Order: sequence, then structure tokens, then C-alpha cells
Amino acid sequence: MSVQSQTARPSRGAYFRIAVLNGLAGVIRAFNANKTSWFGLGVFAAVCLLALLAPVIAPYDPIDQNILFRLKPPDAAHWFGTDYYGRDTLSRIIWGARISLTIGLMAIGSAMLIGTLIGLVAGYFGGRTDIIVMQIMDVLLAFPSLILGLIVVAMLGPSVTNLVIAISLTAIPPFARIARAPTISVKNREFIEAGHALGYSHSRLMFGHILPNIAPEVLVMGSLWLATAIRVEASLAFIGLGVNPPTPTWGGMIREGFENILDSFWLALFPSLAILIVVFSLNLLGDGLRDAIDPRLKGEQ
Amino acid sequence: MTAFIVKRLGFAAVTLFAVLTIVFFIVRVLPGDPAMVILGDQASEASLAALRVRLGLDVPLYQQYFEFLGGVLVGDWGVSMVSGRPVIDEILNVLPATLELTIASLILGAAVGIPVGVWSAVRRNKIPDYLARVASLLGLSFPAFVSAVLLLMFFSIQLRWFPVISSSRDGGIVEHLRNLALPAINLGLIMAAYITRVARSAMLEVLNQDYVRTARAKGLAFAIIIRRHCLRNAMIPVVTVVGLYLGILIGNSVLTEIVFNRPGLGKLIVGALNQRDYTMLQGMMVIYTLIVVLVNLLTDLTYGLIDPRIKYS
Repeated sequence: MSVQSQTARPSRGAYFRIAVLNGLAGVIRAFNANKTSWFGLGVFAAVCLLALLAPVIAPYDPIDQNILFRLKPPDAAHWFGTDYYGRDTLSRIIWGARISLTIGLMAIGSAMLIGTLIGLVAGYFGGRTDIIVMQIMDVLLAFPSLILGLIVVAMLGPSVTNLVIAISLTAIPPFARIARAPTISVKNREFIEAGHALGYSHSRLMFGHILPNIAPEVLVMGSLWLATAIRVEASLAFIGLGVNPPTPTWGGMIREGFENILDSFWLALFPSLAILIVVFSLNLLGDGLRDAIDPRLKGEQ
Repeated sequence: MTAFIVKRLGFAAVTLFAVLTIVFFIVRVLPGDPAMVILGDQASEASLAALRVRLGLDVPLYQQYFEFLGGVLVGDWGVSMVSGRPVIDEILNVLPATLELTIASLILGAAVGIPVGVWSAVRRNKIPDYLARVASLLGLSFPAFVSAVLLLMFFSIQLRWFPVISSSRDGGIVEHLRNLALPAINLGLIMAAYITRVARSAMLEVLNQDYVRTARAKGLAFAIIIRRHCLRNAMIPVVTVVGLYLGILIGNSVLTEIVFNRPGLGKLIVGALNQRDYTMLQGMMVIYTLIVVLVNLLTDLTYGLIDPRIKYS
């Protein structure tokens, strides 16, 4: 009898797989509930592809200067014109996508990891831990994120790593908040109580049982915050705290273009549109998903 | 009510204290010796030491910390490392310009955002709703400097309706408003995008309430239900969000001031960053924290004005 029940019970790994698949199914359901999410995802995927294939697609070397072709307006050879040093704007935009996406994804990836951990621990243990941790998060949240990022980058120096650190610092508190709320509601459900009764460890309950249940919420917010991260990176670059030139960054290109705005409007216009397209597609993606998983809106569709 | 205000003030003081502590340690702990930064790495050890004494960096850290806290309390925020003028004077000098810009954009944001959000909720899943939703999502996708550059390109350079550089301070009230217009529109439209979205979702929630159904069942005109019964209840989340998005508004005002070359906190902080003016940066963080804490307090108090049922306890 006891042997039978041993074999019939799925392994610990299987439980985890089921939980992860449930989470994924939740995300896909959310996608289907709001079609604009698919559109956002499509545009964002296309931008990622362009960035990945930059060496193949970009018509020119993004840092290759050509003084003879300075500040050329858009034409057949240079679709988006050339800048003050005769560099091809289109190629710089394609290569610049790499910087924006790398910094955005790395910053939000780490903020998601750390913030979720903090929120999970605070929500799971509750009590004093919760109060203290969330109070610290609230103080950080109160501070204007661009200013915080500005100061951290200015002090550490502008490099990809430091920008990732600065941006993820500003995004940790929101993720902690996002992870905490569903943790609190999930931890009071029967299956967690059952887990306690079976003597499961805290970490097993948190990571094996609660985390998969709160994952959709966190992932959805991830896409919205990725949009914010890309916006902040571009803003910092515009202020002059981006990855050092001549590396092309969208914010940096707008900064340079802004100096020639009176005669060469295309320099600022095209990278502006690039940022706008990426941020808008991510917002469409995340916004649709959020509506779909928002429990308050359930059953209204 | 008084007890509530005292309690909130206490909380504000704790927050302020916490942020000041963080500010102090961020400025101190991060790599980079301010004296070295100011004088360059070629400077002699003697001149570095002399500058450290002048900046008060020679005493133990805890002593610096208490001097810093005490200084903040009595309004002595140190002296700018670059201009040599008191930090607080430099900040107070430009603060009105930034406040004027942010308040103007908040008014504009609310004036556009609330009606559009309400309209969008009432016409849910109709064409106006879709338009408002796409427009507001687009609005909050704009980095503030991108929209500022585009506005500048179109209205100042193409149409020549507004001055390209809005820094002149003399001139009459008309000139003043003309200078304020584009920056305020830029910030205000982004704010309107955020407000539209909250107003819409708050309104949708209120429209589903039983008392709205009752009011409709007894034959009250829909416009009156919206005005008298829904709007007020939907305003609380809107006020909360305006308070929450203050951080975004401040960040955006920095970018806007740079693009339009407007004097204000934004230009001051970027100047301080470029010149590594540590005391100025410290002062800027103090003033930003003060603003955030104050606005949060105001937000809390506004709830009571909107909804008399809220008891402050």
C-alpha cells in the first residue's frame, strides 16, 4: 500500500513543472484575451531581431566617419541621412537598438530577480520583516527614479554595467511591491497550509509553490518596466550619461541631433521614432496582459 | 484630524531622515574622492589635503554625518563647490521656475486627463474609448525629452509660434506665458496620459457600483449621475496617482528644462553633475526629498477634502 502511493505520487520536479506550466498557460490566456498584446509582442520581437542581426542588416559601419557626407538629408544611399561626422543614421539606429535592449533587459532582469525575492520574503513572512522591508522600499520608491539613476551613473561613471546597476536599483522597489501583494493572498490558500502540515521548508513553499503562482503578475509588469528602463536609459544618454561615444545609443543620437536641430532635423527625429516604437510596443504588450490578468477586471471581457 | 496630521508629519520626518541618511552615504561611499575630482589626478597631496579640510572631509565619517544632518535642519546646506555660493540660495533661486512649470503641467494634465478618462469610461469599448486608450498609452510611451524635441521642432522651428529658447526672464506677462507654454504642454500632455488612464479605470469601477444602478433605476439623468455621484468617488485614485507620479513628473521636468533651456532645478542638477559639485548634488537630493514628502502629505490630506467619510485616525 505504502509502496503504491509512493509511485503514484508525482515527484517534486513534476510539481514544479506543473506549476510553471500553469503560470505559462496563464500568460498565454492573457495574451489571447487582449489581441493588442500580440501586436506589441510582434513589433518588439521584430526590433529584437533587427538588433541581433545588426552586423548583417546595417548598411554601413555605425562608427565609420565620412567627412564628405556630413549632415546629408535622407536619400537613397542613406535612408535616414547622415550625422555631423558623416555616419549613417539608419545603421546607428540599428546598432543602437543593441545597447538599449541589452541595458533594458539586463536591468529589468536583475531588478525582477531581486525585487521579487524581496517581495516574496516580505509577503511570506509578514509581520515585522514585512513592515521594515516595505518601509525601506517605500522610501526608495518615493525618490524620483531618474534623479536616483542620474546620481548613481554620474558617480560610478557611464558604462553598460553601471547603467544596468543604476536602472535596476530604481526598479527593485516596484517589483518588490508587485510580488508582495499576490504572495500574501496565495500564502493563505489551503495548498500552502497543506504544505506546512506536510513539513515543507519555507524555501520549498516560497519557490516551489508560491513563486509559480505569482509569476504571471511579475512577468507582465516586467514588460511594462522594460519600457520604462529603455526610456530611462535613453533619457540618461540624452543628458550625457549614456554609454560613451562613439558607441551609438538612441538617447545619445538625439542629444547630438539636438545640437543641429535647426538645419538637420532628421538626426533627432529618427532615433526619437525608434525609442517611441519600442516603448510603445512594450507598453501595448504589458498593458494588454495586465488587463487580462487583473482579477478586478475578470469576467468583464 | 489634528492627530492625523501630527502622525503624518511624524512619518514624513522619518522618511526625510531615512532619505537624508541614504543621500549622505551614497555621496560618501561611492568611489571617487571629491577633492581628487575637483583638482584632477595631477594635484599634489598637500593641496588635496587642504581641499579636504575646506570641504570638511577630514573629520571622521560619523561627525560629517551629524554636521550634515544639523546643517540641513537649520538651512545650512553647504556651499557650492563650483560657484562658492550657498547651495540653498542657488536652489531657491530657480525653485519658483520649476514649481511654476510643474504646477502648470499638473493643471493642464488634470484638465485634459480627467474629462477624457471619464468620457472614455462612459463610452467603454466604443470608438472614443479606443482612441483615448491608444492616445494615452502613446502619451506615456514618450520619453519627456523626445516629446519636447518634437514639440520644439514643430511649433518653434517649423511654425515659429513659440520662442526656441525660453530663458529670457524679463519682458511682460505675455512673454512669460509664451515661454512657459511649450514646456508646460510637454509635461502636461504626458501627465494627462497618466491621469486619463487612472480616471478611466476609477470611473469604470464606480460605474459598476450598486448605487449607480439604483440612481439609474429611479430615472436620474445619466449626466447628473456622472457629475454628482461618480466623479467625486472616482477622484480618490486619481489624486493618489498624481501623488505617486510626482517622481516621474520631476524626472520629466529635468528633461524638459534641458530641451527648452529653461532655468530650474533640472538645469541646476545637470550642471552640478557635469562639474561634480557634490555639495550641490547633496542639496538637490534634499530638496527633491522635501518636495516628495510634502506632496505625499498633501495627497493624504486631499483625500479628506474629496471624501468626507475618510476619518483621519
